[in-house]
Amino acid sequence: MVAGKSGDTAHLYEGKTVRSGAPSRKKLAGKMSAGGSELPKDAIPEVHIPTFVESLFGGPLVPKMKFLPADRMVQTLQLVGGGLMMLLAVLTYLVTPADGTFWNGFALWIGFDALGQIFHLLIVIAALGAGFYGIFRRDARGLMASYVLFILISLRFAASKDTFDTGALSEIGEFWTKQLIVLYAVSLVMYMEVTNGIIRFSMLDTSIRTGEVYVMNVKKVLSRYHISLVVTPVIAAIVASATLLINVIIPWFFQFFDQETSLRLEQSVELTSVYGVALGTMFVFILVAGVFAANIPLRIQQWRESADD
Amino acid sequence: MAWSRKSAMFASLATALYLLGLVLRNSQLVTVAVVFLSFLTWAALRAAHADVAASGRRIDEEEDSEEAPALASLSAMRKVSAARIFEDGEIQVTLRLQNHSPLSKILEVKDTVPEVMRIKEGANYILMELGPRRETLIEYTVECPLRGFYTLGPVSIRVQDPFGLFHKEKEIHLYDDFLVFPKTEDLKDAFVKSRVPKIFTGAVNIRQPGEGSNFYNLREYIPGDPMRKVNWKAYARQGKMMVNEFERDAVSDIILIVDSRSIAETGPVSRNSLVYSTRAAASLAQYFLSRRDSVGLVIYGNEINSVDRDTGKKQLYVLLTKLAGATAKGNTPLQVVTNRIMPHINKGSPIIILSPLEGDPTLVNAVRDFRAREFDVTVLSPSSLEFEFDAKRLDRTGYEVMKTERDILMTELRGLGAFVMDWEPDMLLSTALAGARGF
Repeated sequence: MVAGKSGDTAHLYEGKTVRSGAPSRKKLAGKMSAGGSELPKDAIPEVHIPTFVESLFGGPLVPKMKFLPADRMVQTLQLVGGGLMMLLAVLTYLVTPADGTFWNGFALWIGFDALGQIFHLLIVIAALGAGFYGIFRRDARGLMASYVLFILISLRFAASKDTFDTGALSEIGEFWTKQLIVLYAVSLVMYMEVTNGIIRFSMLDTSIRTGEVYVMNVKKVLSRYHISLVVTPVIAAIVASATLLINVIIPWFFQFFDQETSLRLEQSVELTSVYGVALGTMFVFILVAGVFAANIPLRIQQWRESADD
Repeated sequence: MAWSRKSAMFASLATALYLLGLVLRNSQLVTVAVVFLSFLTWAALRAAHADVAASGRRIDEEEDSEEAPALASLSAMRKVSAARIFEDGEIQVTLRLQNHSPLSKILEVKDTVPEVMRIKEGANYILMELGPRRETLIEYTVECPLRGFYTLGPVSIRVQDPFGLFHKEKEIHLYDDFLVFPKTEDLKDAFVKSRVPKIFTGAVNIRQPGEGSNFYNLREYIPGDPMRKVNWKAYARQGKMMVNEFERDAVSDIILIVDSRSIAETGPVSRNSLVYSTRAAASLAQYFLSRRDSVGLVIYGNEINSVDRDTGKKQLYVLLTKLAGATAKGNTPLQVVTNRIMPHINKGSPIIILSPLEGDPTLVNAVRDFRAREFDVTVLSPSSLEFEFDAKRLDRTGYEVMKTERDILMTELRGLGAFVMDWEPDMLLSTALAGARGF
C-alpha cells in the first residue's frame, strides 16, 4: 500500500520517511561507511604509468609478455647468441687491456697493481654471466646488463695507436691489429642484434602460437633474416676496415701524384691515430650521405619495382 | 621512414661511443661506433626506405608522394559475409591482398577490427611473404557480442628491414560497415491486450466480443446466430439456447519506449540496463509485428528519437536499426517524452516502457498521465542494482537501501495501475512479461 502523498513512506519505516524517487548513487557514496566506501578493484581500469626511464625510451624496456617454450628458431638463435658472446668475451679480453681503465688507475693508486687486472677479468665474467642468463632465460634485463658491461670494459683512455697488452698479440702487424678490432666491433654489434632477435622471435613465436598473429611462408620470412645475419656484418666489416685503414688508402691514392707526400702521409701520426679513424669515418659517411642526397636508393627501388613494366 | 626504438638506441649508442672514442682517444670505441652506423645505414638501404633522401625531392611527382615505392604497388579488397547480424552472431571476413610489383615483399598486415569484437577463427594480423605479382586471401571470423554500428578497416600494411630497425607503414582506406542488431528472444505471448482496436482484423485479442478464437463468454441465442456457435452442453444444462462468444481479434498500436539516458548504461558493458532494454524492445517488436500489429518506438536519452507506428518486416528492420544505434547519453525526463508523444498516439494503446527507473523525478507523474488517459502501461525495469551488485561494484548495505527505494517506487507505479516488473538479469523476457501482467 502506498501512502497518499507521493514519497511518504513513514508508515513503513517506524516514522522515518524514505524517499520514493530514484536513488542517487552520489549521495549514497557519500553516506557509505569507511569500510564499505573502498573502490572495488575491478572498477579501476588497469593503467600502466611509464617510469621515468620508460618515458625516456618511449616504452617498457623489458617485454612483459610471458613466452612459451622456445621453438627451433629461437633455440638456434640462443646457440648462435651464446657462441657469439663467447667469441666477444675472448676478443674483448684480447683487444681491451686493463691499461687506461678507471679501475686500473685506482689499483695503481692504492699500490695493488693486480687488482686492476682482476677487476677487468671480473667484468668480462660478469658480462658473460648476465649474457648467459639473458640468452637462456630470455630475460631482456640480463641482456641489457651484459651489453652495458661489454661496453663499460672498453671505456678506457688509450694511446693514440692501438696496442694490445696481451703476449703474442702485441707483436702482430698493424693490418691484423685493425682487423682484430673490426672483428671485435662486429661481434659486439652482432651479439646485440642476435640476442635482441631472441626476444623478438620469442615474442613472435608466442603470438603465433596463441593465434594473435598468423604467419604465411615462415621459411621465406626467416630465410631473409638469416641472409641478413650473414650479409650485414660483412658489409659493416668492410666499411669499418675502410675507415680504420684510412692511413693506407689515402697515401695509396696520393702516390699517383706525389711519392713524397704519399710517404709523409703514411708516416703521419694523426692519420694512424684515432683522428685518422675519425677522418676515415667522415669520408665514408660523406659518400653515403651523397648517395642518399642524390636519391639513389629511391631510384634503384623504383627501377626494381618497374623492371617488368 | 619510421625509426624503431631499437634503431634509435643503436644510433644514440653509436654517437655516444664515437664522441667518447674521440675524447678518450680510443680507436676501438670509434670502430664500434662505425660498425653501428654501417649497420644502420645498410639496414635503411636494404629496407628500401628510399624516402630517407635528404633532398626531400621526389623523382616522379605523379606517384603517390606519401608512399614508399615498395608499398605503392599493394592493394587490398575485403568481402564481408553479412552486413546485418544479431548480437553473438559471426561475420566471415575475407581480405584479398595483391602485390602488383615484380618483387616479392615481406609484409605485416593488420586489418583493423572494432575493439569489442573477438576474433573467433583465423587472424587479422598476418606476417607474410607475398610473391611477385601474386595475391593472397586472409580469412578470419569475427564474433560480435554487442549491438551497434561498426566499421572494419583500415588495412594497415608495414614493411620493415629484417632486423626491425626501420619500417614504413601504409593505410589502405578500405572500410566495410556493418550493423549488429540486439538479439531477440522468441516470445509466445506478450500478455498485452488493447482496449482500442483498429478496424482491421488482426491477431491481438481485445477485451470485447467479436470474431476471434479465444473464448469470451456465453450469451443467449439470438435468431441469426450460426448454429456452430451453439454451446450444446450449456443448452442441456440451462434449457435454453446458449451460444459461445469469442474475444475479438484485431490489430492495435503498440508503443515501445526505451530509456537510453546515460544512467541506463550503469554496470558492465555487456550487462547493463540499456543492453537488456534494447534486447527486450527488439523481441517485443518482432513478436508484435509478426502478429500484424503496428509498432512504434521512442528512444529517449540526449534527445527523443521516434519511429512512427507501422507494420511489416520493413518496420522490424527500421526498429532494429534504431535500437542498434541507441547510445546512452543525456538525461531527458520521461515526462518530456510523455508530453511529446501523447497527442500522437491512439488513446488506450498499450505502452511498454523499458527503463531502469533511476534518476528521473518525473517518472511517477509521467506514468500517471498515461494512466489518466487510459493507456495500458507496462513497465519492464532491468535493475542496474543487480548488475552492479553482481559485478561487486556495490556493497551489501548500499544495495539493500537502493533496492528498498526501488521497490517503493515500483509499488507506487503499480498503485497508478501500471503493470511493473523488476526484471532481474537472469530472468527470461517472457517470464518478466508474464510477471508484470500478473500471470
